[in-house]
Amino acid sequence: MKAHLKSGLLASASIAALVGFVSGASANDKLIELSKSNENWVMTGRTYASDNYSPMTQINKENVKNLRVAWSFSTGLLHGHEGTPRVVNGVMYINSSFPNNVYALDLENPGKIKWQHKPKQDPAARSVACCDLVNRGLAYWPGDGKTPPLIFNNQLDGHVVALNADTGEEYWKVENSDIKVGSTLTVAPYVVKDLVIVGSSGAELGVRGYATAYNVKTGAMVWRKYATGPDEEIGIGDDFNKANPHYGQKGLGTATWEGDAWKIGGGTNWGWYAYDPDLNLLYYGSGNPSPWNETMRPGDNKWTMTMMARDIDTGELKWGYQKTPHDEWDYAGVNVMMLSDQKDKSGKMRKLVTHPDRNGIIYTLDRTDGSLVSADKIDDTVNVWTHVDLKTGIPVRNPEYGTRMDHKATNVCPSAMGYHDQAHDSYDPEREVFYLAINHICMDWEPFMLPYRAGQFFVGATLWMYPGPKGDRQNYLGLGQVKARNVITGKDKWAIMERFAAWGGTMATKGGVMFYGTLDGYLKARDSDTGKLLWKFKMPSGAIGYPMTYEHKGTQYVAIYYGVGGWPGVGLVFDLNDPTAGLGAVGAFKNLQNWTQMGGGLLVFSLDGKSPYSENVELDEYPPEMPKL
Amino acid sequence: MKKLLFIGTAAAALVAATSAFAYDGTKCKAPGNCWEPKPGFPEKVAGSKYDPKHDPAELAKQGASERAMEARNAKRTAHFVKTGEWVYDVDEISD
Repeated sequence: MKAHLKSGLLASASIAALVGFVSGASANDKLIELSKSNENWVMTGRTYASDNYSPMTQINKENVKNLRVAWSFSTGLLHGHEGTPRVVNGVMYINSSFPNNVYALDLENPGKIKWQHKPKQDPAARSVACCDLVNRGLAYWPGDGKTPPLIFNNQLDGHVVALNADTGEEYWKVENSDIKVGSTLTVAPYVVKDLVIVGSSGAELGVRGYATAYNVKTGAMVWRKYATGPDEEIGIGDDFNKANPHYGQKGLGTATWEGDAWKIGGGTNWGWYAYDPDLNLLYYGSGNPSPWNETMRPGDNKWTMTMMARDIDTGELKWGYQKTPHDEWDYAGVNVMMLSDQKDKSGKMRKLVTHPDRNGIIYTLDRTDGSLVSADKIDDTVNVWTHVDLKTGIPVRNPEYGTRMDHKATNVCPSAMGYHDQAHDSYDPEREVFYLAINHICMDWEPFMLPYRAGQFFVGATLWMYPGPKGDRQNYLGLGQVKARNVITGKDKWAIMERFAAWGGTMATKGGVMFYGTLDGYLKARDSDTGKLLWKFKMPSGAIGYPMTYEHKGTQYVAIYYGVGGWPGVGLVFDLNDPTAGLGAVGAFKNLQNWTQMGGGLLVFSLDGKSPYSENVELDEYPPEMPKL
Repeated sequence: MKKLLFIGTAAAALVAATSAFAYDGTKCKAPGNCWEPKPGFPEKVAGSKYDPKHDPAELAKQGASERAMEARNAKRTAHFVKTGEWVYDVDEISD
């Protein structure tokens, strides 16, 4: 009887699993199919691998010098323009800085705005944004016949809106974050199956981070999981870190804190996501603990600063690897996750996730169970760690470059801006190379005591930032690098210094060209194999988003936002001069204003500038047809 | 002079010893729990000069706000599922 019951249970469980799989898979497949087409760019990172890689070859290393502007669009707003537009079924969807307008343009005639959504937001949201009024992009859900295709937009004031992708009308709108407690939204929403995943911002105001999954059709909350606190609120069950128990398992979301400090413990996730449909896992990183003053929060401060893999349906945390235990430098661990399948050093094929972190280490883990495969320095000038011990997973600290009360730490590399920040990088699966957009900034740091008041900044540190050892410390230039890295060998195929931090990210193409925008206002194209500069264009303003590409009517286009801002732009944007203002970024980037000013818009390039208007000069003329005389 | 030199050497040795035992992240109490206080800093900050003295009422504000938002959202969704119309203002939703 017992055995019978058991097998019966097992059978029904597996049927449920099967049903779940089948219905889930079909909803997934639509977006996966769309992402495979060169005519679309439906999500952050282009596909669920989030590798910003296009198989297109029309624009290649031989002809990229003929790239010209095809058309352009101004969003009508200033401040940092992050992320990249979406292109789906012949329509481009554009996001903007606060107040987070959305524009839909028909690629047949991009001069005519198909629809626009202009949210009315409480202007007080501006005052609790730590690092400019940015937004990292939109998400798309393809519809199911009953519910129309939807565009999702996160607003700085904490709202998540679903818009009818055809008309721009609001379909639903929920409250995810409350600015009254310092919680905002800058992260791009991410659609998997019939869920939209939304992160959080506000660790600089003591916000305890959480990620939430909403039902795309109804706005109903499906799961919400935190970065700190009791296991059930984090999503830690019996299987957590089964393959790597030395990473830590149960009870650490409170045990690695003193008292209730975890309640204002940070760990917000405002970076990027990736997803593996075979493993059903969502990958992202949690941010820095609060406050920046390390002395006020003894303990490892788990599970901030953690690479996380969550079951997409339940939010359950399958594995978590804390990169920076007890952060002392604001190395918010939210950076890009890129999936690849490569052979490890022993020749074994592995499913991998690669993650260049703020803390100066680029991590590659087995994405099935979280096992460490490699953890190398992004640049040899990193000095806060001697190395990462792959066996224990522990980053070995150099106490000389730690921070603490009553002490001014100097020459700490990387700075709080990291050797890598919100840049969305790319991976070329043929060359097995990651194209990294890197910062080269170091710092001095001195913490101070401060109280926590909900809705007020809760930082507690003064910073001085400046170029790293390979830059020009006298003239405050040489703040960035671009590198082509093989994460299995740990070797760079090539590496190049940049005048300013390469803040926005990169895009790689099968044409052997990798593209990226710069803070000083260039879109650049380099030879994927050698790093040789092949082409560049001077844009109206610096870029902090990443390039994208798509094909329309047989023509390949490359598009990128211009509009400087974000953390490196705060001095320029808010007209600040004190070098320690803007959380220390003002001093480091004091020369940025000599190369660029604010802007806000999109540039679209093609070979010889071919566009709907170069093909038909009468397109969009008034009246549409010449009157017959 | 000799005594002075001796003191100097001892102090240097002490500094070297302190930095050798300084917090480097490798000495773990338990898996995933490797924090140590730095030389001269307390194991617990409560009651020390670094006591953050957090006000429990302030610490409770985020959780309260999140539960309230979740409750309003649930009302909105329930109304939407029932009527097909999304009403954001919960005061306009009759139970």
